[in-house]
Amino acid sequence: MAGVWVLGENREQLFELLSIGRSLADKYGTTLAAFAFQDTQAARDCIARGADRAVVLKYRGQEGPLDVFMPTIVEEVKGKDPDMLLIASTYRLKELAARIAERLKAGLCSDCIKLVFNEEEKSVEMERLMYGGSAVQKVVCLSRPAMATIPPGTFEKAEAGSGPGKEGDVDEIVQTNEPAVTMLERKVREREAKDIREARTVICVGRGFEKKEDIKLAEELATVLRGEIAGTRPVTEELHWLPESLCIGLSGIQVRPDLYIGLGVSGQIQHVTGLRDAKVICAVNRDANAPIFGVSDLGIVGDLYDVVPKLVDELKKGF
Amino acid sequence: MLDIVVCFKWVVDEAFIRRTSSGDLDFSSVDYKISEYDRNAIEAAVRLREEYGGSVTAVIVGAPEAAKGVKDALSRGPDRAVFAEDPLFRDLDPSQTASVLGQVISSKTPFHLIICGEGSGDVYSQQTGPRLAEFLGIPCAAYVQRLTVKEEKVMADRKVEGFIEVDILPLPALVTVLPDIATPRIPGVKDTLMASKKAVIKVGKNELTAVPPPLLKTQSLKAARVERECEKFTAEAEGIKRFVAALQKRGVLK
Ligand SMILES: Cc1cc2nc3c(=O)[nH]c(=O)nc-3n(C[C@H](O)[C@H](O)[C@H](O)COP(=O)(O)OP(=O)(O)OC[C@H]3O[C@@H](n4cnc5c(N)ncnc54)[C@H](O)[C@@H]3O)c2cc1C
Ligand SMILES: Nc1ncnc2c1ncn2[C@@H]1O[C@H](COP(=O)(O)O)[C@@H](O)[C@H]1O
Repeated sequence: MAGVWVLGENREQLFELLSIGRSLADKYGTTLAAFAFQDTQAARDCIARGADRAVVLKYRGQEGPLDVFMPTIVEEVKGKDPDMLLIASTYRLKELAARIAERLKAGLCSDCIKLVFNEEEKSVEMERLMYGGSAVQKVVCLSRPAMATIPPGTFEKAEAGSGPGKEGDVDEIVQTNEPAVTMLERKVREREAKDIREARTVICVGRGFEKKEDIKLAEELATVLRGEIAGTRPVTEELHWLPESLCIGLSGIQVRPDLYIGLGVSGQIQHVTGLRDAKVICAVNRDANAPIFGVSDLGIVGDLYDVVPKLVDELKKGF
Repeated sequence: MLDIVVCFKWVVDEAFIRRTSSGDLDFSSVDYKISEYDRNAIEAAVRLREEYGGSVTAVIVGAPEAAKGVKDALSRGPDRAVFAEDPLFRDLDPSQTASVLGQVISSKTPFHLIICGEGSGDVYSQQTGPRLAEFLGIPCAAYVQRLTVKEEKVMADRKVEGFIEVDILPLPALVTVLPDIATPRIPGVKDTLMASKKAVIKVGKNELTAVPPPLLKTQSLKAARVERECEKFTAEAEGIKRFVAALQKRGVLK
């Protein structure tokens, strides 16, 4: 037996992995299987979108940490010997993937952004970022199965074929073991932000802001430019001045706006790597030697508390 | 009493990496540092010891030059260090690192809790922690933002898309922590002096059962680069005007 298997936490992630999974499965000359958690309908929809087999992993009782499924997945892999496992890079699945890989003694390419099938070697060459995003590392797994985690949003979603809907069975696998870790509760985060990955204009708040209240300056600029607010990692994940889902960069999201303006952002590579596809990058920083000026198209050297109000006024004139 | 192991890595400071005209990476003027978020992990370990009593052992797998990192780590509060040292340990894949860490931890230092950083500054594979937990056969929670210890158990607030999952792990256990777990201290002169008096247990490659073969092979490593115009403006009224005009010209003001 063989196959390419995909594993995702939700339908979007599964559909994205199915598109790259289908093309790799065709090149391997093998089948494509999709694994979903709890959601039987999502698993069924994976069949319509190209999977040959779908599996839904179910909790025996209440939902808990995802790692209860680790032994189950490891057993499945051992029994069916897939060529490759493609797993969505979510927080929980990154951990699960690493633990599955360790159990299987398999190589795992983390946060893989490109996969190319090598016909001669019958292997997959995978690309990922290294050194905070300053380098692209190309790796191959020396194990079977080969494994990769792939950030959501990296590939287009697989579409359901036209014509009669493809049918197929959905296997259900119920959790077999007792969990070592128990879930006490799920706390909903206070503020959930909207998805800014497709925003046309992004105003980014950096550590150059002295306090949370001052973010209103950035908001004023966002209002005149009809843009969205984002933040660097210190501002979102350490100070929690903005929702964590607004963090741009290596450990956050990739944005591809027409216009990005960083305010009090130093321009470390881990942040800048999230802007690679922006059309025009601008910066306001009081330090003329800040690295952000080396990766910007247009930069203003100055104190953001002085520059932003002036900029807002100037922009208002033009509209 | 809580015996804590904290794992830290000594990495290239990426800010010093240059790019050659052919697109290769130039490491000739690099400096090294304790991986950014491992400093937060060390701080978290030290604070837990302050709260619950016990000990903190800082563990590193690295090449001989990482000795500087061992001293740096000890100046941040741990009681002792374990240094698995070999020139070969400069370039291990995450499965190999986890194996070496697992072997030295289980032979050299009893523990209740292992703390790893969320991901290392150079590779950022985010695998070593969970692999190590699996290697040792202990429960694990990754991306933890808050930790509380209670009667042989640890309560971990872990970050998950859309919500925070509060998990209970029986000890011994491993967690990987996010930077907001604790803000690292800046060691003073006294801390640095104290650090040189602390015990460093060195473990050579020949003291390990085996270093497993790599599971990942790097085929190439190339510089990634953003090419931009780098035009600068002043904060004077004139500069702002020209800046806005430049935006207009590029058609990004809609
Ligand atoms: C493994 C890893 C992953 C990471 N992932 C990410 C990521 O995904 N996203 C991310 O953003 N970071 C990430 N980082 C952190 C990154 O390395 C930087 O630390 C971070 O981006 C810096 O944020 P900052 O620019 O807001 O703050 P700082 O670096 O502190 O910069 C503040 C800047 O503001 C300027 N300034 C101060 N006051 C003013 C003023 N009044 N007016 C104008 N300018 C002013 C200063 O000159 C300075 O340049 C990661 C780091 C690691 C190690
Ligand atoms: N060579 C090493 N020595 C000690 N700890 C390490 C080493 N490599 C990785 N780690 C730990 O594992 C975490 C994740 O690393 P990585 O899997 O490389 O992203 C780091 O934050 C460290 O806590």
